[in-house]
Amino acid sequence: MGLIARAIESVGIPTVAISLARDLTEAVGVPRAVFVRWPLGHPLGEPHAPAQQRTMIFEALKLLVHGRQPGQIVEPGFRWRRERYNEPNWDALQNPETLDTP
Amino acid sequence: MAQTDRGSWLERLSNRIFAIPSVAQWWARWRAGRMPAVIDPATGIPFARLAKPLAQCRAALITTGGVHRVDQRPFDMENPDGDATYREIPGDVALAELTITHKYYDHRDADQDINVIFPLEHFRDLAAQGVIGQVAPRHFGFMGHIDGELIQVLTRRTAPEVAQKLRQDEVDFALLTPA
Repeated sequence: MGLIARAIESVGIPTVAISLARDLTEAVGVPRAVFVRWPLGHPLGEPHAPAQQRTMIFEALKLLVHGRQPGQIVEPGFRWRRERYNEPNWDALQNPETLDTP
Repeated sequence: MAQTDRGSWLERLSNRIFAIPSVAQWWARWRAGRMPAVIDPATGIPFARLAKPLAQCRAALITTGGVHRVDQRPFDMENPDGDATYREIPGDVALAELTITHKYYDHRDADQDINVIFPLEHFRDLAAQGVIGQVAPRHFGFMGHIDGELIQVLTRRTAPEVAQKLRQDEVDFALLTPA
């Protein structure tokens, strides 16, 4: 997946990836990634868990808007099946200064 | 969603073991250790910046989770090096028309709810909400688990091809999701 991200970024299109395997993501040099220590096959989380899935999208878009450093991997630290998720505050993405720096 | 090949019982067992996060992280470290260097110290990691506010951006989804439309040729489950080809998924596809061909991970949860790996429905919502500008006219499904000679096919042919298609579609950013 990282090799595809690099090919896309090389033509000038920014990418953000979700990573489930941190060491591989680091070794491949993925331009931007959000890493979660979750089971393989679940980059957005659990089935029929829209708030969790949308939270992962929010984390990815936040890094996309904010990231300044090639190869940055952020780790929000969400535990598998032990978190409560709320609908993200999407407005914050349009005003990057109101976001925490990842 | 339609079901396709899930592999033998041994493959299914192995997929369950690899789904355990600590096993997956151990595997990632092992794979990373025996991988030829990808990052060229001279050029570093490619990096582009968003050219416009998110609310005006056109977004494409790329997954290596083996997602494709039921009427498209399934990914190759016979070649041990995997399959470096890709499938174009139209932006207006009905989610019920999507399926997963990939026997190297446990996709029972993604079969139940494709948003677990291919969040097109959420991106449609985000476009309707005005968080992003719009969803791209096509998205791309790859199958991960590519090895050997096929890595070159991916890096020299199929991945650059998809990158060019994203440019043709005037895509502003892509979200990538692995299996």
